[in-house]
Amino acid sequence: MSDLKENLKAQIIEQLNLEDLTPADIQDDAPLFGDQGLGLDSIDALEFIVLLDANYGIKITDPNQGKEIFQSVNTLADYISKNQ
Amino acid sequence: MYFIQHIESITHQDSFRKENLWSNLKPLDSDHALISPDYKSYIPAATLRRLSTILRMGITASKECQEKVFTEFDSISVGTGLGCLTDTEKFLLTINTVSGDILSPTAFIQSTHNTISGQISLDLKNHAYNMTHTQNAISFEVALTDAMLCVYEGKKSVLTGAADEAISFLERLRGTLIKTTHPFTSGVTFAVISPNKNQSIAHIQACEVLVSDQTENAVPEFLKKHRCELKDADLILEAGEQFASTGKKHVNFLTYSGYYQSASAFAFHLAHDWFIENKTAQKALIINNLESGKLGLTLLSRNEA
Amino acid sequence: MHIYVTGYGIISSIGENVEETLHALRSEKTGIRQGQKTYTERFKVGEIRWSNNELVERFSLTQHASRTALLGMIAAKEAFKNHKLLAEIKTGLISGTSVGGMDVSELAYKDFLNSKTDDLNTYRNHPNGTTSEQIAKELGIDGYVNTISTACSSAANSIMLGARMLLSGQLDRVVAGGTDGLSQFTISGFRSLMIFDDEWCRPFDETRKGLNLGEGAGFLVLETEETIRKTGKKPLAVLSGWSNASDAYHQTASSPEGLGATLSMKGALEVAGLKPEDIDYINAHGTATPNNDLSESHGIRAIFGDAVPPFSSTKAYTGHTLAASGGIEAVLGILALHNGSLLPNLNFSQAIEETRLTPIKNYSEGHEIKHILSNSFGFGGNNSTIILSKI
Repeated sequence: MSDLKENLKAQIIEQLNLEDLTPADIQDDAPLFGDQGLGLDSIDALEFIVLLDANYGIKITDPNQGKEIFQSVNTLADYISKNQ
Repeated sequence: MYFIQHIESITHQDSFRKENLWSNLKPLDSDHALISPDYKSYIPAATLRRLSTILRMGITASKECQEKVFTEFDSISVGTGLGCLTDTEKFLLTINTVSGDILSPTAFIQSTHNTISGQISLDLKNHAYNMTHTQNAISFEVALTDAMLCVYEGKKSVLTGAADEAISFLERLRGTLIKTTHPFTSGVTFAVISPNKNQSIAHIQACEVLVSDQTENAVPEFLKKHRCELKDADLILEAGEQFASTGKKHVNFLTYSGYYQSASAFAFHLAHDWFIENKTAQKALIINNLESGKLGLTLLSRNEA
Repeated sequence: MHIYVTGYGIISSIGENVEETLHALRSEKTGIRQGQKTYTERFKVGEIRWSNNELVERFSLTQHASRTALLGMIAAKEAFKNHKLLAEIKTGLISGTSVGGMDVSELAYKDFLNSKTDDLNTYRNHPNGTTSEQIAKELGIDGYVNTISTACSSAANSIMLGARMLLSGQLDRVVAGGTDGLSQFTISGFRSLMIFDDEWCRPFDETRKGLNLGEGAGFLVLETEETIRKTGKKPLAVLSGWSNASDAYHQTASSPEGLGATLSMKGALEVAGLKPEDIDYINAHGTATPNNDLSESHGIRAIFGDAVPPFSSTKAYTGHTLAASGGIEAVLGILALHNGSLLPNLNFSQAIEETRLTPIKNYSEGHEIKHILSNSFGFGGNNSTIILSKI
């Protein structure tokens, strides 16, 4: 699980061009969206869907589903491990 | 009157935040490159990470203009010949290489021509009129005429300019579709136009566009309409070599800008700064004959003291 | 000074000219169906059935060009068919397009990627500006030719710029509108945004999921009073108001409260010198995306309060024709003025809970319709409104 989270962080940084961040800057339970977290927006949510498809073969067809799944690295990792 | 309040360019010349472009101007040599300011000091990191170079250039030049003139822009009119080519090509690559239905949307979103003006409004939180014009080599002039129209209608602080970017794909079209010996380059120029003189040194006397197979008499007719002759121009800037000039100083602006569709916007900046460089100059004429079958004509005059 | 409409032309999936379009509106017949081309066959689209070569032949066009240019030529020719070019009437052309000649250049680019020989000449048709130059050439117009590219508000902005060019005396007459042909690029783009409904789109419906794409073109001929005295043209409608404002909220999403939409509607009413209660019908942007329709509903509420006039989105007829939509919907607006018709919002059943606005459900005629407000909103928060009035 911790490997999965570390990989995820690296993939998030790459997919979203978060050039100034390193995986260590992203806390497992920190909110990814909104001003409190990384400040990601609805376009990033679509990029997460691409990331899940490309790296984990998981297809999300309804963007509304993403709201729960993309809350934090923890929720993402949890969803991946259950659905892969 | 259409007074030029401020003007900024980001190009392959050392042109950003400069008092006078002519002091550092050099013909582009073989190791020319885009001279980029530190975009991070203009654009928040959260926004910057997604933006292609043309968007970074456009926002930065506009923001510098906004900081210099104080008055919030009440109209924005931008020209671009080919738009956001990097993102357009990126999305073309995506749709041809990624199988399945789930595609990264960012390049698509930023491929549309009005991303430049849209991002400027977003960054400046500006709710005013926001227009994107595109007419191949006269894209800057059609944007400028709209900006002048905004002033004519009563607007006080109009941002106008043009942006284009080079991608390596263009080299494939050299000699066939694009006949030029100049290097393909990227460039943005933004200016603020106002009906009030303020600290302005020059104004736009006229700007006209012409799309036609018959453009031979256009220059003298344009000048006659604005009560002057070629010999009155202290500087003539033009893009094609075929124009027989009788002006006092005749410059092919592509020597300095390189080739991009809205390079005449850089000529506009050069023309403006000529009034700083040459204290006696009264008029500068830009003959934008970059492409055959169309012409952009812009006449700048020094303000009366 | 009034700006008069003296000609109009349209092509979309519901009809190849004004007459066919009116017939489809009356019979509540959508043009959206399963796509017939390789890049549309998996989707429901408002597609024009003919190939590019067939369009050239069917409409006796003199140039082979991209789909966007061809559709533009067809609608602009219809708009301009009874008009004459005269040296003393300075005539311009302003067209809006989002992707220009992409439908042909994307094929050449695909060959290039697959290491096949791409025909470089194809890219000649690619630039947005070229599509307008080709349309102008088809009509014999030269001089002022310009292209607006503000995504889905392009045609509305072209019409607005046309009016302003006339008012400032730079032109005497202008052909203004917009055109967009469907392309793989656009379809993949909207799919990547996940605002693409695989079923029939349902504008302003609580269950709406996204848009259906369409293609087409719509153009108006605009003249000043002075020009009409020379041309002797009968005015068909008055272009009485226009406005553009920036939402400045997000790259793709509209602000939840519809600020940009409110500003553009307010601005157009001011130009027209009208009050909200003067508007008899609103042709909404209504793309059927969850975000647009909610935001636009809030904007409509902000302007009209509890007295919202009859309104509808006609996107369920034509699909979202992107840069052409403002031109197509301007023509639909003129048809509504002429026939006193209220145009239905097909596929509607349940109002959006938050705003509780119910659009027009069925086609009807014979109403007293004097003023129509038409919205067109584009990516990057580019919001435009035009107002068309009865003579």
